[in-house]
Amino acid sequence: MSDADSKTTHFGARTVREEEKAGLVHGVFSSVANRYDVMNDVMSMGIHRLWKDAMMDWLAPRDGMRSLDVAGGTGDIAFRILKRAPGASVTVLDLTEDMLIEGQRRAEAESFADRLDWVVGDAMALPFEANSFDTYTISFGIRNVTRVQDALDEAYRVLKPGGRLVVLEFSQLPSRPLQKAYDLYSFNVIPRMGQAIANDRDSYQYLVESIRNFPDQDSFAGMIRQAGFGQVKYRNLSMGIAALHSGWKI
Amino acid sequence: MSDSEEERVQPLDRRVLEALVCPRTQTVLSYDAARQELVSRAAGLAFPIRNGIPIMLIDEARRLD
Repeated sequence: MSDADSKTTHFGARTVREEEKAGLVHGVFSSVANRYDVMNDVMSMGIHRLWKDAMMDWLAPRDGMRSLDVAGGTGDIAFRILKRAPGASVTVLDLTEDMLIEGQRRAEAESFADRLDWVVGDAMALPFEANSFDTYTISFGIRNVTRVQDALDEAYRVLKPGGRLVVLEFSQLPSRPLQKAYDLYSFNVIPRMGQAIANDRDSYQYLVESIRNFPDQDSFAGMIRQAGFGQVKYRNLSMGIAALHSGWKI
Repeated sequence: MSDSEEERVQPLDRRVLEALVCPRTQTVLSYDAARQELVSRAAGLAFPIRNGIPIMLIDEARRLD
């Protein structure tokens, strides 16, 4: 039977065949592209802006740096990098064309136009040469990739020696009671808020489940090491609701 | 502006083109300005450019014969 060897992956809590996940994720993000910031506000109770500031503090962008921001559709991270280092350049890559178009429409995209590139692409098969970038960032995107390890391997490939990976993602709370409380909030409140705010309960339901299924901090750090990175470290944000991971291509 | 959606072809930034390679073979691409495509001879694929954005997905590429 041909089905016997087909691999499965997680789409939220549903197990789906790998080939289907990209399509499902694409559907989720096309349907929420316009309300993406609103969604992040709902998911993080508004705190994602502070987490992104923490990401920039740790990344410490500098002029002349060549950056790749993956799953960076609306340009949020790219704009932050360029505000801190106006002499940097950023390539924004996303699987979803609609997200990039949304990003290009933003006022910042105009003012930074000569320092920004927009490319539709797959994190697991990047359209860039090896040793091309000084930094690789991915913010709330890695958990949506079908095979996370493949994306990390690709990150390693396209980074220059001495280049750095920084990942911002929802994570797991270190204490069981806290995690239980957060699960209650996320599984019960967020899909309803998604319905009320964006009229899109399913997308928010997926987002909640995909967060719960993503590896915890130490497991994910192990995957980053597996890709070849050294000096792998993480920092919890808001007690572990999210985490920043960093690794260097040494 | 009277330009229709279809007519609004944005030129691809040279810098973008130089940075891109084929996502399957990681080899150079050539730019077909008339068709608005990035062609990978090695992979036999042509990647479309829409609204000035290169679509570097194998699933979206046109197969070359």
